Amino acid sequence: MERRAFLQAAASVPVALAAELHQDLPHYRIVSRFPLSEHPGMPGPYPGKVARVHAEKSIDAQSEKVDVPTVRDMISQGMRALTGDADSRDSWARIFTASDVVGIKVNCSGAPGIMSTPEVVGEIARNLGLVGVKPEQIWIYERFRDQVDSVHYDRYVPAGVHIWTAEHSRGAIRGYDPNTYAEVNFFGEDDTRSNLARPVSEQFTKIINVPNMKDHGAAGVTGCLKNIAYGSFSNVARSHSGSKTNTYSFIGTLASVEPLRSRTVLQIMDGLRGVWHGGPFSPNRKFRFYPKQMMFGTDPVAIDRLLLDVIDDKRKAEHAISVWDRSTSNVKPGHGYDNNPSINRFIREPGHIEYASTLGLGVYDLKKIQATKIEI
Amino acid sequence: MLAFFLAALLPWLYWDQGPDTAKAVKQAQIEQLYVPAGHEAVWKAEGFDARPLRAAQFVTVPAPGVQYRMDVASATSIPWVDANGWRFERGGRRRYYYVVDRGKATLAAAEAYAYGVEAVIRPDPQDLAPFARILAFLRGIGPVELPGLANVGIVDDGSAQTGEVMNLLARRNLMFHVVTAPDPRYDLNVQIGNDEYPKAEAANPAAFAAKIRQKLTDEKRLIRLFGSDVVLARLTGDDTQVRVHLINYSGRKVEGLRVRVRGEYGHGSLSVFELDKATLTDYSAADGGTEFTIPEMSVYAIVDLKK
Repeated sequence: MERRAFLQAAASVPVALAAELHQDLPHYRIVSRFPLSEHPGMPGPYPGKVARVHAEKSIDAQSEKVDVPTVRDMISQGMRALTGDADSRDSWARIFTASDVVGIKVNCSGAPGIMSTPEVVGEIARNLGLVGVKPEQIWIYERFRDQVDSVHYDRYVPAGVHIWTAEHSRGAIRGYDPNTYAEVNFFGEDDTRSNLARPVSEQFTKIINVPNMKDHGAAGVTGCLKNIAYGSFSNVARSHSGSKTNTYSFIGTLASVEPLRSRTVLQIMDGLRGVWHGGPFSPNRKFRFYPKQMMFGTDPVAIDRLLLDVIDDKRKAEHAISVWDRSTSNVKPGHGYDNNPSINRFIREPGHIEYASTLGLGVYDLKKIQATKIEI
Repeated sequence: MLAFFLAALLPWLYWDQGPDTAKAVKQAQIEQLYVPAGHEAVWKAEGFDARPLRAAQFVTVPAPGVQYRMDVASATSIPWVDANGWRFERGGRRRYYYVVDRGKATLAAAEAYAYGVEAVIRPDPQDLAPFARILAFLRGIGPVELPGLANVGIVDDGSAQTGEVMNLLARRNLMFHVVTAPDPRYDLNVQIGNDEYPKAEAANPAAFAAKIRQKLTDEKRLIRLFGSDVVLARLTGDDTQVRVHLINYSGRKVEGLRVRVRGEYGHGSLSVFELDKATLTDYSAADGGTEFTIPEMSVYAIVDLKK
């Protein structure tokens, strides 16, 4: 069987299951030369397992100053809780070897207000170094150069670590692999392809996903799944038009594309800061909050399932409408959504996380998620 | 015959500046030009092949370009492209006249050349140098006398409504020919006003063009472009070769354009205006199509594909 046909056939079964959840799914055609791995990174060796670390000292809510020793401790304890090792170096060595070329998928869409915290990314790079991964084998990556430039990761990571962005100018496709893409026509757009970032398919052997805890006007929340999916492919904003968004199925579909699925081996949810309304951007500090926690796992669905409650609980506390509110009467684009948590811009699709579970990306059922809570 | 052919295809300069600018025009290596009627003798005396512009002999066309709608923040909105290709398809072998603002002379020249029409362009005087550069580029390309390729036939009733449908077909890079009656050589024939394509539907030309795309199917499209919504294409060719003209209406560089052409072609070569050593990358010919990437393009690129 031809590789392309193989991948499409493999994808068809879970899509059929997912159709029970949502009937009018777009038709996706996945083109990739990479076979489905026997042991894909998502959900990886720890499906349904989440190590959740909270540290009051991790960030000062007033100054937003990050306490690096505390972050170091959070990462150490989180990794050990995930893998069961006594030494965090052993935890990292379970997943990474000195020969790996590691991509760190940061999230900078809300920068400079919120982003994968540079101190967290610096600690991740340091831990990779402890297991022999040289700085030159580490690539921080994101789609948009202007956003990443505002963060200055170079000040927090060892010299030699690469900082790579796919689009130096918005819409440029040179940074994407022309032979690995998802093709779908959502709204009659002419460019129906979303291509995978080149280094994901051509350079990286492994990827660490470092999303933030954020509300999202289209997807409901944006966590592991959306960061790795929409953050690794081109031409994804076309999935929203009017009040309709196709994030429900597109996020999980993209996250499932090989080799992204196989190579994404570690999820580190950076929840030092969070955004409870207006995400993924954060122009307005009044919608930022400080969960002061991090979550560790290999299962993006399980972590995102917990994220849903973090964001929704905060919205409830702030008397905002729920992330689950899909009533069309509350969808009021152009009515100051960015500054009004009582309305929606799109019909939100928080169900994208459950949909991703039907694609085999992880465990959605709270009863089956093993969350270990650690307080520092 | 070849010289005439060349001269007929290259756009002409219309220059209404005084003869004191003759030195600058010569330095730009432009030897043929149109001038205001009555001024040709002066310019001939300066050594130019000067011809008088008689407006009645030309069809004036709008300046090409893009209108960005910055007030519309939707991620899926695409800019409005002002392009004349559909007019050339509809109007046939007429002579066309452009008056363009600063920065648009090369675009107008590229557009006219791509469609093989005889055109006279009045650039902003400060654009003499870039206009001369694109003429030099076009001379270097050399003409290939190939017919335009299309797989949609559209029956022209002469109405503005049909014209707008043609405009939007061109906007979507759906290659069409204007016909007087449905022709079985095309994959799809469109006759506005019949049962399949009612006039009422054509009143919304965007939706109508989308319907035509759907009926044709993307698989049958002669060309598809990925990575830009401001580049329009024209194809010429025969059984053994295809020339792909790509016109970038944005006024900005396009960083990466993925192209799929129907049919499998073993070899491709690329020429990009103001970009030396341009080469096609990630080339493949399989599954009934040829794909390649143009890493960078300015206002105009030409790709020659051969079997």
